[in-house]
Amino acid sequence: MNNNIKPFFLWRHLNKLRWVVLSIVFLMLVLLPFIHVYQTFVASFSYDLLDESEKFLFDIMEAITSPFVDDPAQELDAIKGTTWSGNFFGYQISDPLAVIGQLAASMSIYWPFVLTALVPVIFTVVFGRFFCGWICPANFLYELNTIVSLWLQDLGIRAGHRKLDRRMKYLVLAIGLGLCVISGSVLISIIYPPAIIGRELYFAIALGGFGSGLVFFILTLLFDLFVSRRGFCRYICPGGALYSLLGRFRMFRIKRIVDNCNDCAKCNAVCEFGLDPLHDDFGQECNNCTACIAVCPTDAMTFVVKIKDEGNQGPGHLGKQYIRLNQVQGKQDAAT
Amino acid sequence: MRRRDLLKKMIVAASTFGLASVPYAIGRLMVPLTTFDFSNHLRPPGALVNEDDFIRACIGCGLCGEVCPPRCILFEKREGGNGVNTPYIDPELKACILCQKCMDVCPTDAITKIDIHEVNMGLAQIDRTACYPWVDRGICGACVNICPLGEKAIAFEFANMYRPYIKEDGCVGCGICVEVCPHPSLPIRIVESVQGTVTRHNA
Repeated sequence: MNNNIKPFFLWRHLNKLRWVVLSIVFLMLVLLPFIHVYQTFVASFSYDLLDESEKFLFDIMEAITSPFVDDPAQELDAIKGTTWSGNFFGYQISDPLAVIGQLAASMSIYWPFVLTALVPVIFTVVFGRFFCGWICPANFLYELNTIVSLWLQDLGIRAGHRKLDRRMKYLVLAIGLGLCVISGSVLISIIYPPAIIGRELYFAIALGGFGSGLVFFILTLLFDLFVSRRGFCRYICPGGALYSLLGRFRMFRIKRIVDNCNDCAKCNAVCEFGLDPLHDDFGQECNNCTACIAVCPTDAMTFVVKIKDEGNQGPGHLGKQYIRLNQVQGKQDAAT
Repeated sequence: MRRRDLLKKMIVAASTFGLASVPYAIGRLMVPLTTFDFSNHLRPPGALVNEDDFIRACIGCGLCGEVCPPRCILFEKREGGNGVNTPYIDPELKACILCQKCMDVCPTDAITKIDIHEVNMGLAQIDRTACYPWVDRGICGACVNICPLGEKAIAFEFANMYRPYIKEDGCVGCGICVEVCPHPSLPIRIVESVQGTVTRHNA
């Protein structure tokens, strides 16, 4: 037994950090529309004319923001937007799918906008499909939805576990871009959950009513519950397809240490994207969410800097299969 | 390759294509095309004048709405067709104040930064058979007083009473006169500037 190889201790806790990041992003998407409403109240100098509930919102927002800004009408503009396209202290950051979709729709290049996707693209090339696991506000809700599916199973309602072809999402991406070209409009955003979430939250909070995107999002939640677990991200999401392609030759990967693995398959059970970490099948779909590292009881999962995945390394060395194999080997060795 | 295999593959390809189009079909079915009335669907100031160009450039990120101080920018939902999620202003609900914040923030330059006198959202038009001063029903100058461009866009002329009239060269169609007009039937409205001041007769 070789217990010398131990993964760096922090990597077990990255999953907690991931949940913190996901929650912060989602809470920001909720907070920003409220901040905008507050800004409009400030801009109109109309505190005395506000409703009781609006005064309540005004007071809360003033309490939250007054330590940081003096002039809410101007300075609170520093962070604006959604994960689809946003302003962050003067830097504009857009989703690569927004850029590609806009290129397809307009068939011309507007460089200042293309460059806004530079930071996400670089991060994706280095970390793979990190957006899906670490930032996407829809992913936050989908992972909570997975918990709902577990509750349903406790109640005796079978959640769907259908397997479709993973390559379907590339087809969705290609057809979506084709439709963008044909219609001359960035239609791909109407089926892209992170864009929908940001937009619908803004509609609901600042403009007083959800749009049709909410219906589509609920349909995807039901699809995940009753057809396939996390099926939308795995089989349909066009943004996920784009990130998968960009992150194909990513540098940071998750690797299984065979010496420590005891074949318990907890990593397979916890993998939201239905990959097969137990048999070293990460591929371009892995979003580096580190849930398998966090769940592994024997510290057999680790981060490595590598361009290519390793092939199947065989059964883990603490597992029964491997030990039995070794015993057979040992007996054979003893016999000869 | 045998014909049977080819047929099979074609059927598989067609059905996969159909399956992949399902999300778009769902998305598009949720946004059926309805009639589009220009007078309460103004594009934000600085928006590309050609409607197709604007829809091509806009990615529907909603940033222009999120910085708008009067919160006047709304987003196309069902009525937008291809322009779903693109911004518009309904001056009857809330009108633009030409603050130019949306021009600064648009990432794709669908809303371009231009001088407020070159904005072309439309042209205000007064129905002289309904406007209070024009029919001698009383003194009113709400539209003249509120106009952010002032004397350049709208002014009084005196004939029996101070009556407002639009200056075709100066008015950019922000629609704030429509918002403040006290008359219930809204004698002032925004028309497309190419139509001039000729009343548009809706069927």
